[in-house]
Formats: sequence, structure tokens, C-alpha cells
Amino acid sequence: MKTASVFRYGAGALGLVLIGIGAWRLADQPDPLGVLVWLAGAVVLHDGILAPLVLAVGLLLVGRRDRGVLRGALVVAGSLVLVTLPLLVRPGAPPNPSALPLPYGRNLVIVLAAVVVVAAVVIVVRRWRRRPQRSTDGD
Amino acid sequence: MDSMTSRPPGPRRAALPALRPPAFTGRLHDARTATSVGRWLGVAFAVCFATGLVSHYLQHPPDWLANHLPARPAWGYRLTQGLHVATGLAAIVLLLVKLWTVYPRLFVWPPVRSARHALERLSVAVLVASAVFQVLTGLLNIVEWYPWPFSFVPVHFAVAWVVAGSILLHVAVKAPEITAHWGRRSEGTLALPAEDARDRRSLLLGTGAAVGVVTLTTVGQSFTPLKAFDLLAPRHPDDGPQGLPVNRTAAAAGVSVPGLRTWRLEVYGPRPYTLTLDDLWAMPRTAARLPIACVEGWSVEAHWGGVRVRDLMERAGGRPGRDALRVTSLEVSGAYRVMEMGAEYAEDPLTLLALALNGQPLALDHGYPARIIAPNRPGVLQTKWVHRLELL
Repeated sequence: MKTASVFRYGAGALGLVLIGIGAWRLADQPDPLGVLVWLAGAVVLHDGILAPLVLAVGLLLVGRRDRGVLRGALVVAGSLVLVTLPLLVRPGAPPNPSALPLPYGRNLVIVLAAVVVVAAVVIVVRRWRRRPQRSTDGD
Repeated sequence: MDSMTSRPPGPRRAALPALRPPAFTGRLHDARTATSVGRWLGVAFAVCFATGLVSHYLQHPPDWLANHLPARPAWGYRLTQGLHVATGLAAIVLLLVKLWTVYPRLFVWPPVRSARHALERLSVAVLVASAVFQVLTGLLNIVEWYPWPFSFVPVHFAVAWVVAGSILLHVAVKAPEITAHWGRRSEGTLALPAEDARDRRSLLLGTGAAVGVVTLTTVGQSFTPLKAFDLLAPRHPDDGPQGLPVNRTAAAAGVSVPGLRTWRLEVYGPRPYTLTLDDLWAMPRTAARLPIACVEGWSVEAHWGGVRVRDLMERAGGRPGRDALRVTSLEVSGAYRVMEMGAEYAEDPLTLLALALNGQPLALDHGYPARIIAPNRPGVLQTKWVHRLELL
């Protein structure tokens, strides 16, 4: 066998061993079924809800001018919303006065506004650079 | 990415055209994009796994390791756990973009071509489930939200092995495709439509920007030079009594001032003794600048003042460097009420039974009358409201 395939099959086998270790540790839990439900739920959440939503938003961008910048801004904004969402929708009071101390809703709006401003500036600058050049110099 | 689909078997397909798999006309759902994002995701998960193992074994060392866990560098755990949470947050962005590039493969037709194909799809399903589960549970854990019926720490640890294993397996299965699309001039990349290259760069730039902005607005909770940008992290390094965040308050631990009136420090060893708080304050004190670094990712450096643990051990007839220590807190219940520290930690001249924080006696929430502060150690093991030390 070539060295590359030795590495390949070695990595695959090691991967199976690590999965086995994880599965064995999971089976040792008091409620492995509860974990399985959440694992399956993670797939449903992504494949069934999040990905179709993202694709639907993507359809709105097809063929638009400045599509790349708009898509970049949406990826940044979407990531920020996802990461902040648990802070905003977590039920109950914070576990102690120094946990979750910031005004997250306000801060998210500020950061999203900054994303919009940066995207707008990039679009304006790019359009300005690409404007039709009238050659008035050099003659 | 692909995973289980529940589509009718082949023959019914013609009769039910409405159930045909969706067609994806969008660009960049290709192997070059998947490789470009996938390798960064691989790096992020590798860092998460390695730093997670560090955290796990610092908290639950096997017996043969317990006395040899290194107390230096003092900032070690601050770095590894800060990285763990920061790369975990970055992995959320990278994982979602990676899954977006390969999403159409979820609907390949026929869903299963061969036994090998079925196994490959199963392995990808395990990868997707465990990876999404892992970043989701991690994200909810740092905001201390536990909506699931299991215990976070052992399950997050177990699933980490599944994620690491499925990534290795996935890379092994896809090795030829990854190699063919590794570089801009690789064979497989050149076979893709050339006009996509520019669009791909733009997507990667957007992804990089998202990772950058998420990191910038959260990493200040542990990387304090950037704390001015800490807008969206679950903690702020200055927010808490005496300018330091708290993980478990005295009220939550069932510790109150009236209960402390009769407080004594009991030290057990060959020559056991008891000290009042005044006795402790009268002992030679050491100052140390040490970080407190929480498993949830935040960390802050502070000025601590107190008595060296090794001095307290020697007074009880202990042998620093050889004896381990058991520390018991006044807290009524909790997984960390009793803490053991290996010989290297107990011996370290920076390991203190701290009485003061930033020049003031400890606040009750920071462990008044006395707490442990040691270098390179998870915050949950910096036991507060200490009332008993036992040489082991």
C-alpha cells in the first residue's frame, strides 16, 4: 500500500475508534435516549429549518448588483444574531448579578447597524471605482 | 453534508413527480468551496477538542497524573479555555457555511446507491448531528441555559469524541476529493467553472468577516485588551463585586455571614492545628497576580493577597512537593464543595489561601473569609469559603 493510503485508512480507523469511545461514554449516561433525541433534533434544526431559511434568503440575492457584499453582510449579521440569540431568549433571571450583565439587545442593534454602514460604504466605494472612466487626462 | 432522507423508493418516483428532490441551481455548492471552508472548520474543531481535553483532565485527572499536573504557566488554563470558547463560537459560523456548501447532497438521488454509499451517508449523518449538537450545547452552556434532560459536562465530553472521530473518518473518506481541490491550481479546482472563483473568494471573505466580528465582539470576556469590544459575550471582565465576575454566589452556595462568626481554618496532617481569621491575617502574606479563568470561558487577572498553601502544609508537618491536598468549602452542597489539588499545585509558591482581592478583604461572593487561588487551574477548582485543609 502507498504511504498515502496507509495514512488514509489509518485516519479512518482512528476515527472509528474515537467514535466508539464517544458512543461508549454516551451509553454510560443515565439517559442516553435523551441525548439521542437531542442529536437527532440538531439535524432537524439545521437541515429542516436553518438551511432552507438561508437558501430562501439566498434566492432574494440572485442576480443582484453587489450580491457579494450583500451576502457577506448577511452572513456576518446572521452569525451575530445566532450567537446572541441564547442571551436574548434565555428564560429566567441570570444565574447571578455578574452573569449576562450587558444590554444585549441594544448592543446587537449597534453591531448590526455597524455592519449595515460598513456594507453600504463598501458598495458605494466599489460603484464609484467602477464608474465609467472618462479619459480627460493624458492628451 | 447529507443525512437520512425519507423519500419513496424508486418505482414510485415517476408516479409522484412532486416528491422529486429539489434542484439546486445556486453556485458554490462544490468541493473547492467545501475544502476551503472545511479546513478552517477542521482547525477550529481540533483546537476545541485539544483544549477541551486539557480542561477535562485538569478537572478530572486520572490518579497517576494528579500529582504531576503542571502549575505553570500561570496563564495556561486562561489561554486554553479562552481559546476553547472563542474557537467554538468561530466554529458555529464555519460549520454553518460548510454545511451550506454541501446541503444539496442531502437530496442526492437515489438516496442510497450501494452499501458503501449508505455507510458514507450514515457517517456524515453522525458528523452533522454531533457537530451541530456540540456547538449548540456549548453555546447554551456559556449562557448557563440547560434545557436538556442530561448533564452537560459528561455529554459534551462524550460527543466531543464522536465529533473528532467523525471528522477524521470524513477526511479519510473524502481524501481524494480534498486533495483534488486543495489549491487554486489543483486538478479538481481547475475542472470547476472558472467564473466561480471570484464569487468563491467573496463568500470566503464574508465568512472570514463573520468569524472576525463574532470573535471581536465576544473575545474581550477573556482577552481583556479587547474588553472595550465585549458587546455580546455572556460576561464582562470588570462586572462583579470588587471588579471581578462571580460564578457561584454565596447565596447560591448557602453561605451567609452569621454562619461565619465561628469560622476557623482546620488543617489536618501529622501535626493538625486550627487558626482563627485573625491568626491567618497575622501570618506572613504573599501577593500574587493570577488570573481566575472559568470553564465557561471568561477570565480576568487580579491581585490576590494571602498565605502560601505550602507554608500552611509545612506547619502541619506536610512535605511540599510530595503531599497532595484536599480542600473543603463551607458550601452546603455542590459538585465542587470538596476539591483535591495535586502535589505540584500545592507546592507552588503562587498557590495561596487568599484573604484579599485587589487590596480589599475578599467579598463574600468571592469566598470570604478565605479561598484558594492557584496558577493554571480551572475556576471551579479555586475553592471559595475554605474551612478545611487535609494533607493527603
